[in-house]
Amino acid sequence: MGLVERDKVRELMGEVMKAQGRTLPSDDAADLREIGFRSLDFSELALRVEDELGDELNFDAPGLRRITTVGDVLDFIEQLQTA
Amino acid sequence: MSDSTVVPPASVVLVSGGSRGLGLAIVTDLLASGLKVAAFARTVTPELTALGEKYPEHLHYGSVDINDPKAGQDFVKEVEAKLGPIDGLVNNAAVGQDSLHVHTSADQVAAIIQTNLTSPLVLTRFVLRRMLAKGLKGRIVNVTSICAQRGYPGLVAYSATKGGMDSATRSLARELGGRVLANSVAPGFFASEMSAVLGQTQLDQIVRRTPTGHLTEPDEVVPVVRMLLLDNTNINGQVLVVDGAASI
Ligand SMILES: NC(=O)c1ccc[n+]([C@@H]2O[C@H](COP(=O)([O-])OP(=O)(O)OC[C@H]3O[C@@H](n4cnc5c(N)ncnc54)[C@H](OP(=O)(O)O)[C@@H]3O)[C@@H](O)[C@H]2O)c1
Repeated sequence: MGLVERDKVRELMGEVMKAQGRTLPSDDAADLREIGFRSLDFSELALRVEDELGDELNFDAPGLRRITTVGDVLDFIEQLQTA
Repeated sequence: MSDSTVVPPASVVLVSGGSRGLGLAIVTDLLASGLKVAAFARTVTPELTALGEKYPEHLHYGSVDINDPKAGQDFVKEVEAKLGPIDGLVNNAAVGQDSLHVHTSADQVAAIIQTNLTSPLVLTRFVLRRMLAKGLKGRIVNVTSICAQRGYPGLVAYSATKGGMDSATRSLARELGGRVLANSVAPGFFASEMSAVLGQTQLDQIVRRTPTGHLTEPDEVVPVVRMLLLDNTNINGQVLVVDGAASI
């Protein structure tokens, strides 16, 4: 399985937010609640990454609940791809 | 009431998933009530072994995967040989879920349905065949969940299986024409290995929404199961919710 690079994932995350009229801050420490990135937005991002990969990235919800910042999202997607 | 319609109390009860959590609490309670009990799970726990030592004549237990029908049938025959014909079945074994439907693999969906719906139906079929062939009456209790009636994120396939078992309960009650009383007990969330995946925030939220102010305890579900197995009631084809009115 190939790997969707972190920068590309960030770009896709920006697209998900843009489609909702929001902007993704450049700071990895930005808080997801403050920027309005909710759990279904995470699902949309994961599905866009899957499209790029051509493979499914299935995962349980507990891991998701620990995600609070933009950096956490990028880390989580990276871990999913290398798991 | 004519004698022909009275289903006597169960005397030999098979409990699936009796190794821990609610299943173990049910096994413990039925043994203390003087019944003969058979219990299986994939892994036999020290708690179940200890009960076996305490009640050597009354408890038969073993390691069985409910998804292996042959092993399940062999176990039922062992139970009959050791304890006598089974006239009570508690379908308690199940696996939980904590993943959004879109991120749950098709294989995982199939596995949840297999363990929580298909295999209990196949086990029920086998136990009923033995019961009816011997001219026995009996009782079935399906442990389902409040998830069968209310929506919870992360539990789509699980909820579908529990709703499926509640539906099967009603049709079994009709189909068995009063020879077997079939009911479901649907607990709200309680602390166990299965619910350990829930975060503290979610547990706090459930408690806040529960008029009785606490999560359901296995010990609060056990008397309801015992009543359905032993008491002379005309309850049949019902789903009894035990959740402190959290869902009301
Ligand atoms: N916990 C809750 O909040 C909650 C709420 C409502 C309803 N319920 C229902 O209550 C029942 C008991 O749940 P619990 O919380 O006590 O769960 P638990 O602690 O996870 O226990 C489940 C039991 O089922 C057994 N089991 C699982 N897969 C099996 C398999 N393939 N073959 C044989 N045995 C299997 C387990 O043993 P092995 O893993 O060793 O096989 C264990 O004995 C379940 O039907 C559950 O759906 C639970």
